[in-house]
Formats: sequence, C-alpha cells, structure tokens
Amino acid sequence: MTMARSTRMLLIAPAIIYLAALTQAPFILTLWYSFQKWILTSPELGVSFVGFENFSYTLFGDAIFRAAVLNLVLITAGIVLFSLFFGMIFALLLHRKFPGQGIARSLAIAPFFVMPTVNAVVWKNLLLNPVFGFVNYYTTKIGLPRVDILAAFPKLGIITMAVWQWTPFMMLILLAGLQSVPDEIREAAEVDGATPWEEFRYITFPLLGPFVELSVLLATIYVLQLFGEIFVATQGGPGSATTTLPYYVYETISQGNDVGTSSAQGVCAVVLASIIATFLLRLLARTFKVAKA
Amino acid sequence: MTARLRDGLLTLVTYILVLALFFPIFWTVLAGFKTEGTAVAQPPVLFFTPTFDNFREALTNAGYTGFFVNSVIISVCSTLVAFLLGIPAAFALGLFPTEKSAGTLSWVLSTKMMPAVGVIIPLIIIFKQIHLFDSIPGMIILYTSINLPLVIWMMRSFFAEIPKDLIEAARVDGAQTLQILIGIAVPFVTPGLAATALLCLIFSWNEFFLVVNLAGPHASTLPVYIAGFMTSEGLFWAKMSAASTLAVIPVFIAGWAAQRSLVRGLTMGAVK
Repeated sequence: MTMARSTRMLLIAPAIIYLAALTQAPFILTLWYSFQKWILTSPELGVSFVGFENFSYTLFGDAIFRAAVLNLVLITAGIVLFSLFFGMIFALLLHRKFPGQGIARSLAIAPFFVMPTVNAVVWKNLLLNPVFGFVNYYTTKIGLPRVDILAAFPKLGIITMAVWQWTPFMMLILLAGLQSVPDEIREAAEVDGATPWEEFRYITFPLLGPFVELSVLLATIYVLQLFGEIFVATQGGPGSATTTLPYYVYETISQGNDVGTSSAQGVCAVVLASIIATFLLRLLARTFKVAKA
Repeated sequence: MTARLRDGLLTLVTYILVLALFFPIFWTVLAGFKTEGTAVAQPPVLFFTPTFDNFREALTNAGYTGFFVNSVIISVCSTLVAFLLGIPAAFALGLFPTEKSAGTLSWVLSTKMMPAVGVIIPLIIIFKQIHLFDSIPGMIILYTSINLPLVIWMMRSFFAEIPKDLIEAARVDGAQTLQILIGIAVPFVTPGLAATALLCLIFSWNEFFLVVNLAGPHASTLPVYIAGFMTSEGLFWAKMSAASTLAVIPVFIAGWAAQRSLVRGLTMGAVK
C-alpha cells in the first residue's frame, strides 16, 4: 500500500525529530564538550578549546579509566554468560509440560521486574550481609568461613545480583525459541534413539541458534549500561574494583564536575559499546553460519 | 529409570530451582512484615507474628509517598506522550512501508542502543540552563525518549499484522488517513497497545541512571528513594523491605499482565 509523501512525513517526522533532539543532538554536544576544558565548579577558569587533551588524558594518562573499561568488560561478560547458562536451564525445564507450569513461569520471570536499586539493597543486606545475612548464616553453618562477598569479591557480588535479574530475561527469549522448534523433529529424534543430551546438542541447540544470538546481543547492550546495582551496592569500590565506565562517567561529572573529561569518557563509552555490538553481531552471525553448514 | 520417574524428578527439580530463583523476593516481602529485631535475627526467622507497621509507616511517610506520586506521574505521562508521538509513526512504518522504512527503523533502534553516558553531560548542562533540572516535566521529556523507540518498534509489528484488505476497503470508501488510523488500525491493535503501555510503564518505573543524574528532591522517583536507604537508614531492614515491596508491586502486576507480550517487547518486536 502507498501513502502520500506529505502524509507520511506528518506521521513520522514528530517522532524522529523528538528522538534526534533528545539523543543525537546531545551526543554531538558531548563530542563538542570533549574537546573543551570546562570545570563546572570553577567558572573563573572559563571554557577553552583544548583539542585532544581530554582524550589523551583519558586513554593514556588515567589508570582508573583503563580499570573501568576492563571492569566493564569483565562484569558484562560474566553477567551475560552466567545468565545465558542459567536462563537456558530454566528455559529447558519450564518448556516441559508439568502441573503448575504457568505459576512456575510467572515466579521465574519476577526477578526481571525488580528495580535495580531494590535488587541491590536486598542482596547487599538481607542476603549477603556478612553478619546478619541469610547466605552467610547457612554457609558458615556448613563450615565455610564467614565472608563479606561485596568486600572480598566485589565483582562476583555485582555479577551475582545482576545474573539473578538477567536469568529470567534470557529464559524468556530462549523459551520463545524452544516453542518455535517443532515437536515432531524432537519426537523423531527420540524415536531414532537419541539420548536427551544428543537431542539437545544436535537438534534443539542448533535450531535455538538465532534466539541465543539475539538474547546475548540484547543482554550485552543492556548490561553494558548497568548502573543502579553498582551505585547502591559498592559505589564502584572497594577501591575501583567495581568502577565500570558508566559509573566512572557519573563520578567524573557529579563529583569532579569536569565536563570535558567526563564527555571524553562518554564518547569512549559510546565507541566501545558500538565496537562490542558490531563485533558480537559479526561473531554470532559467523558461528551460526558454521553451525548450520 | 522409567520415563515417568525421570519426568517426576525433573518436575521436582524445576519446582526447587524456580523457588530458589524467587526466594529473594519472597524473603524481602516476608521481612517487610517483621519487626526490626526479627529481620536481622540469626538464625533467619521464617515463622513470626506479622506486623503491618512498616507498610503503614512507608505509606504515611511524606517522603515516600511524594516519590511514589512522582513515579506514577512521570511514568504515566511519558508513556502517553510516547504513544502520541510513536503511534502515527508506527502506523506509517508498519502499514505503508517504503524502501526507506528499514533504514528509519534501524536508526530508531540505534537511539535506544546509545549508552546513556554518551548524552548525559549535555542534558545536565542544558536542563540546568532552561530550568528543567529536577522538574517533573523535565523527567517526562526524558522518559518519553526512552519509551518512544519501544512504542515505534512494537506497535509497528502489531500494525503490520492488520490485514491489508481491511485498510484498502476503508480507503475505497473514502476514509482519510487519520480516520483509518483512529477508526480501524488502533482498535485492531488494542491488545498490543495495552502490552506496549505496560512495558513502557515498567521501564520508566524502574529507570535509575537518568533520574539520579537529572533530578533532586523535587522530581526523584522511587528507585532513588530506595537507593537512599543505603546511606540514611541502612540498618532498618524491615522498613527497607516494606518500602521495597511497595515499590515493586505495581511492576509485578503490570509485568504479569503483559507476560504474553513480554518477549516481543524485550526483543523490540523481533520475536513474536
């Protein structure tokens, strides 16, 4: 069907202009700011053009920035891979028909709805607190040493709370994938004497490929922005152990009031996110083609 | 091992794992009904006389209710504005695609993928200059931009499912574009509309990065209130749990109601 060009424009333009004004325009300003020296709390210093100074400091002079990039990559990879693993287990279990399936699915999805700050206060206090927490009571009971996970293994602590939240996300997409695999194919494999593992390895998993791909890609893009959990549970610490790129930008602007440097960091974050997304798309597309061939 | 026994065991394992996954939520809700002493007791207490004091206190605390009202106003209004802007675009892109439509849609998606740290600094500076910083309208403007890509993508996928004959017939009868949109297309996709609205509400309700950077005492929402527990009242677990429970209940209701369209929303309409 066709539609007059002018009508089309009238329908589409408002949304596009709105999005451009709220996302593209600020990004162009971020780029512009990243070449300035501008400290909000020191107006007497003024605003001056400093070329690539902010970038050279960020990329080569700032050890915390490098740590923040590494932390971001490690924490994101940890969250996505563990969520994929657990999400797959839950999807396979909940795909079977059993009494109470509907309620079980609803309960399993619930963690995804919990707001990040609630997630963090609950895990940090009720569950992981070294003295009064639920987890430590039982781990010390079976003879393990009492441990403050967020202090001793801060990355693991953050990954744990985020995996709890993102497992349902993976599960949902993989469940949709499993539902798209025709039952006849699986039944045929069973008739041919395939073990459950063989059936999963050679039939379900390859057919699930596009869904695994999609879930990993989307989760990565969202998890790269993880912020609330870190803000509440560790404030980027101890030291800079859980300072990820988003958290570091937040610190640079809210505590350092440094517009130029934080903008340069922001630009780097966007570049990094695009590289990771492109890389993932290519990698996943290729693995999938190989698996199909 | 017989097939039936294996089946029963797998079901049992499923129950156990699902309950484990849900446990943190159960434990938080339970702690909301405890006294502060019972909440931190070791060994952890499962059976106790419930008290409603923590919930009553949260609901009568002006700070909490203020944040709650902000959350409601900001998420509802931003969803409405996103619908006003997004539905016409989704209608045109879904029912009357041209060779440029795919490009437009990818561009819309790319704005959603843009890390928030890439836009936050200018937003802080501009919002302070034009007095939108820490204001309800300011937050609505921002949250609309988070919801808009979701509305366009999801509603486009619903509009695309409308039988073309239906639209053609209306056109032959002389209906104008706006009449087709309001009279035929929108009523046809009502379930999709509801699901999209619920998802927008959930994402706005839980958003934290923008609100913590661009709002202060006036326009902050519930996630900020909860984050405040860590500094001011970190040791009052029962109060914190009650406030947390109240903060997530609306999302649970919305989420479970939207469950069937959840995957579609999370994948921007890619998986039906």
